[in-house]
This record gives sequence, C-alpha cells and structure tokens, in this order.
Amino acid sequence: MLLVLFRVTVLLICIYTVRHYFFTLNRLFGRQRHPYVDVDSADWPAITILIAAHNEEAVVADILKALLEVDYPRDRLTIIPVNDRSTDRTREIIDAFVAQHPFIEPFHRSGGKPGKAAALKDAMARVNTEVVLIFDADYIPGKALIRQLVAPFFDPEVGAVMGRVVPLNVGKKCLTRLLDLERSGGYQVDQQARMNLHMVPQYGGTVAGVRKSALDEIGGWNENALAEDTDLTYRLLLAGWKTVYENRAECYEEVPERWPVRVRQIMRWAKGHNQAMTRYIVPTAKRDGLSWVERIDGVFLLGVYVMGPALLLGWSLAVVLFYTGAQIGGGLAVLALGAFTTLGNFAAFFEIGAAARLDGSRQRIRLLPLTLFGFTVSLISVSRAAWQQAHESFFGSADLVWHKTERSRTAPVLEEHLARTAPVLEESV
Amino acid sequence: MSSWAPLALTTVTAALLAVPVAPALYELWKREDAAPLPTSRHDGRIANFADVFRSRLEPLRPRLERCRAQLEISRARVDGIEVLLVGCNAEDFDFDPSLVQGIAAVMFSRAALIPAGRVVDADIYADAALELEEGAALRAAVGRSDITLGKDSGVLRWLHADGGIYLRRGSSAYGRLSAGQSIRMEPGCGFQRMHAPSILTVDAGQDGDCVSVPSTAHVCETSEDAQHLPADRGEVFASSRPRLRVKGNFVLAPGETLNANVITTGELQFGAGARLFGSVKSYRGAELEEGSCVHGSIVCGGTLRLGPRSFVTGPIMAEGDVLVARGCRVGEPDALTTISSSGTQIAPGCQLHGTVWARVRGSVED
Repeated sequence: MLLVLFRVTVLLICIYTVRHYFFTLNRLFGRQRHPYVDVDSADWPAITILIAAHNEEAVVADILKALLEVDYPRDRLTIIPVNDRSTDRTREIIDAFVAQHPFIEPFHRSGGKPGKAAALKDAMARVNTEVVLIFDADYIPGKALIRQLVAPFFDPEVGAVMGRVVPLNVGKKCLTRLLDLERSGGYQVDQQARMNLHMVPQYGGTVAGVRKSALDEIGGWNENALAEDTDLTYRLLLAGWKTVYENRAECYEEVPERWPVRVRQIMRWAKGHNQAMTRYIVPTAKRDGLSWVERIDGVFLLGVYVMGPALLLGWSLAVVLFYTGAQIGGGLAVLALGAFTTLGNFAAFFEIGAAARLDGSRQRIRLLPLTLFGFTVSLISVSRAAWQQAHESFFGSADLVWHKTERSRTAPVLEEHLARTAPVLEESV
Repeated sequence: MSSWAPLALTTVTAALLAVPVAPALYELWKREDAAPLPTSRHDGRIANFADVFRSRLEPLRPRLERCRAQLEISRARVDGIEVLLVGCNAEDFDFDPSLVQGIAAVMFSRAALIPAGRVVDADIYADAALELEEGAALRAAVGRSDITLGKDSGVLRWLHADGGIYLRRGSSAYGRLSAGQSIRMEPGCGFQRMHAPSILTVDAGQDGDCVSVPSTAHVCETSEDAQHLPADRGEVFASSRPRLRVKGNFVLAPGETLNANVITTGELQFGAGARLFGSVKSYRGAELEEGSCVHGSIVCGGTLRLGPRSFVTGPIMAEGDVLVARGCRVGEPDALTTISSSGTQIAPGCQLHGTVWARVRGSVED
C-alpha cells in the first residue's frame, strides 16, 4: 500500500516536472502568441474600473492618480473605488479625488459579507458597461494598460483577461527580491506558455478584466470562494468562455515584505485553490467542448497546491520504505532519486531562470539559489494549509475567513517611481 | 590525527556549501539589479519614436530659424547627438559626405530632398515637405508637412508626417509608418506597421488627391431594410447579442443577415452580400465573399480573405495572413480600427482607417 502511494507520488512529481520544463522550453524556443497586443486603434467600448480597497490609505491615492493619466477615452471610462468597510482614511482620500473628478463614482460599502468577492459582487450592481476591469488598490497601472486589457474583449470568446504583475518594492528585502523572481517565473513563463499553447491561462483577480455578460451568465462573483480568481477562471471555462493572458499588459504591485505576511498570503491562495480543485476538477476533466489540451492543463493547474504536501509525503514515504526494506527497483528508483535529490525537481528553478533571461535581468539571476529558501517556506505553508483544510473538512470548522494582505507602503510613491523610469526611445517594432 | 582536522573539514565543507550561494549573497549585499523591472510607460502610439525625436531636437529650433534666414548650414549638439542644421534650399544641399560625417540627425528648415540612389544614415527632420527620389533610402524621418517616397525607395526604421505620406510603386517602409492625415500606397509597396486616419491603396500613377474607392455603405445597409436591422447593430459590445458557438465550419448564406456573436471551431465563410451584426471568431481560416459586411470584430486563427467590396467595422486579429481584395473598407474615418496579422496583402483600391500591423510583412498587390 505504501509502495503504491509512493509510486503515485513520484509519478505526480514527474508529471509536474515535465509540465514545468515544457512551459519553459516553449517560452524559450516556441511560437509566441500575442494575438491582441497590436490593437491600438479601435472604437473602444465604455468600461468600468473597480478598485478593491479595504483600509488602503497608504496606497489608494497612487492608483487613482495613475488611472487619471491612462490613455483611454475619458467619456468611456468610469472608475469605481470599492471602499469595503475601511476604518482608516481610505474614504476621505477617495472623496477628495471624487470632488475633483466627477467620473470617479465611489462605492463606500459599510456592511455585508466581508471579502473581496462579496464587495465586488455588491459593486457590480452599479456597473452598466460590458467590460469591467479590476485592480487591487496597491497596483499602479501604466498609461497604455487599460487599452491592452480591453483589446482582448473584441474577441467574442474572451470572458476574462489577465495582465502581468510586476513587483514595485523589489529592492526592499530579501523576500521581495525572491518574490520578484517567483512572479517573473509565474507570469513571464507559466502564464504566457499556457497562452501560447491554447491552454488555460489563469484569471488572477487584479490587473484583470471580465466581460459582464459572461459573469452574469455564470452567476456573478462567488462570495463563498476563498480564491475568487481561480473560481472565476474555471466557471468561465466550463461555460465556454476563454480567459486570456496579456504578457505586455504590465502593472506594478506591492509584494509582501515580511515572511509572516507572505506565509499567510500563500496559505490563503493554497486554500482557495484547493477549494476550487475539489469543485472543478471532475467537471473540467469531463466537460464536452473543451479541447484535450485545456482539460489536461485545467486539471493540472487545479492541482498545483497539492504538490507541496505530495512532495513532503513522498519524502516521508521514501524514508519509511527505506527502513522497512521495501524494494524500490528499476526505473522508479531512478525517478525517485531524481525527484528527491533535487528537492522535487529543478524545473521550477529553470522556469525562474528562463523568466529572468526573458526579462533581460542580468544580475538578479544570481539570487536563484536563494529561491530554494522561499521554495521551502512555500512548501511548508501550502502543506500546512492543505492539512488545515483536510482537518476542517473532517471535523468541521468556522466559516471561511478572508485575510487581506498587509501593505508595507506608508506613503504614495507614484511620482518617485515615474521619475525613475525613463521614457522609451526606441524599441523593436 | 591533528586536533585541527575536524575544524579544517568543517571549514572546507562550509566553504563548498557556500560557493553556490556566494553570488546570491553578493547580489543581496551590492543590490546591483534590485530595481523594479521596467514596464512600458508610453501609450503605444506608432508615432512615439517620431515624437521623441522631435522633442529632442526642439531646443535647436531657434538656431534652425537663424540658419533659414541666412541660408546657411551649421552644426549643433543636443542631448548627446550631433545635428546638422540646413537653412538653404534643398537643391543646394546634396548630402556631401564631408558635411554629414558623424552626424546623427539633419534638420531641414525648408522642403528637403534625398537625391536618387542616396542612402542616408542620419535621421531627418523636415520643417516642410520631404521627398525621397527613386532608389533613395534613409533610416528614419519626421516631416511637418507631406512626405513622398519615390519609386523603389525605402525607410528602415520609422517615418512620420504631420500631413500625408505617398509611397510610390515598389517603395518600402520597414518599421513604423504614421501620418496625421493619410497614407497612400501604389502597387508593390511594402510596410510593417502603419497608422493614419485614412490609408488608401491606389493604382500606379493615380493622383493621390483624387483617389476613388468604391463606397461600400450601400452594400451593408439600405434604406428599405434599415428598419429590420437590430437596434444595437452599431454596438460591438452589445450585451444583449446572442452568442453562437459552432463546432465545425460555419457558413452564412449569400445575402443573409445575422445578429449574433459567432464562434466557430472550423472554417468560416460568408456568402456574397451576407451581413453580420456582431463579432466573429474562427479557429481556422475565414473568407468573406464579395460585398459582405461585419459590423464588429473578426478573430481568425488562420488566413482571412476579405472579398471585393467587403466591409468590416471592428478590429481584425488574424494569426495567419490577411488578404484584402479590391474595394474593401475596414474601419471608418470617425471610428478607426486595427488590422493585425502575420502578413497583410492589400489590393489597390482599398480604404482602411486606423492601424495596419503586419508582423512579418505587408504589401500592396502588384
């Protein structure tokens, strides 16, 4: 029994290893798909931008200022800061902007269910446009970002769009530098490869857009979802809508600067993702109308946060089987050796290295060995999250609690940042 | 065994373990690459290079005016680049190598002329019209009036005119090509990315000011049937429009009208005179036969063929090529749009409004 379990674990690790290498090689040598990036002239539709804000006094001014500068027809742009039960100066700051710019229509939410999905669900009642863009309050969109996120909606099959997240506070701590590398791997390689291969790019909940009619068709935001983004990706997929990724729709964000904040963040992601897995893995595998590529990728994407505990389980089983004298022979032994002597596999690190190269980062690639530390923390965190979920499912628990990620920014940074970024003189055409 | 042996062993082991992380620790300490990754701040306009070039030269305008008044040629330096200021008439300046040696940009205060067969490395700024004679080539240019590319001439990086641009037979504009008013192209011209409120392909020798492109408006909406058309026909993003998903090929019969967004996993074909109010996506190729209309966007996984006199209002995004037949119209003067494809071939007699981006190569049919 233990041997069978061990074999299954090793097989899973091998599959995910191949998956990582496949994505990375595709990004390095494969055909790249950016089907919507060239659309710079169009009869742009009216859109609404929702800014999810809960106690965001340190950051909300930055995003509002940035959105006032974007290159999008002003008469087709409505900005709704969704101030969700803030107890700090968030409301005051938003209202100061509203006084000067009447097309900003604030939604000050004082009650109701907590959580981003619940707040967005309430805010949607005020949305009259077919295209809705969503940003978290700590993001700083660039001038052309809005058009880049809207362009894919000219494709009638697109239900949601995801842009690329780029950390702004990179140089602050060792953690922020590691997260910068990790984000590069996730977006520059993972998401874009899935876009290239017609798989399932993931809607990420911020720097993102959704088609209102598609959202209405699937029943709106799921306020019971811990990861409303993953939940939405799969509900759209199952309803015949595509989520697409725009690698060049880049937006700055603030990443956690303290390890406890990071641990809480990744545990929330893991729980949300696992929750989506239990709901959608079978429907995704069975759904008619999805290509086989989408089914396979959809299933494996749902399982990414299970791989942490699977790896820990595999290591434990290897020790137990070794001391009990079990016969692990042939190819399995080679696979096991490969898997376990390289901390699961090096594929994820290869992915990060390739992403740094694609981004043109020369020196930050030196930090790659330290990602092992971040990997270990993530491994333990997602395993702990999985354990808590399993425990709660057997013994029951309190309601799901949504934890907002703590902000480190203490004052607006937009001017300082813009002053540092040189304008583009020439680039490849 | 010496008592130092365990210490030595420990030290060597620690050193060996530290070797792989030494560069990482160095980078953490020195922070040589700790800035946020640069994200694009510009707005994606095709004319951006021209705008940046123009703004870099702006401080030299008073000197250029003096050169113009005195009909003289002088050198200046701005923003780290060497600039030649030409105040004399075009015929008095022949790009003498001794004058343009080491020059990165040339500013003309009057109409400028690149002589036949001459290749110019410097970027050109022209305060008036600019003309490239037959076989001439330059890297980049911006003109405050019209620009004409003579037969078989070429531009390698970018070209912008505040007025119009005329590309005569066989000329090529690699990179970016943009005009404030219009771009007119004769057969055999090549391009990659271009933008103008009006882009016309004309027959060779046809006067650019009296281009005749057949109207397609009557094909798409006649007064007698306007009342039967959907009320939201002009709205690409109408949320009430039904979505039609087709497994396999989709054919809209000649003369038929459909109000829906259509997604097909196979080929797409619109018969002559067919009309679609909505957007359409084909996983493979698509063909619009003569006189058909799409009041929306077209997304195509293969090659898209627009038949004669067909009309599309919204963006066209093709992963393969786009072949545009004579008399087609894409976009409208007051509603610019985009054609994006791997390669684009346009027949003479077409009218496009907005951006045409051929990632590999675009051409006007010869």
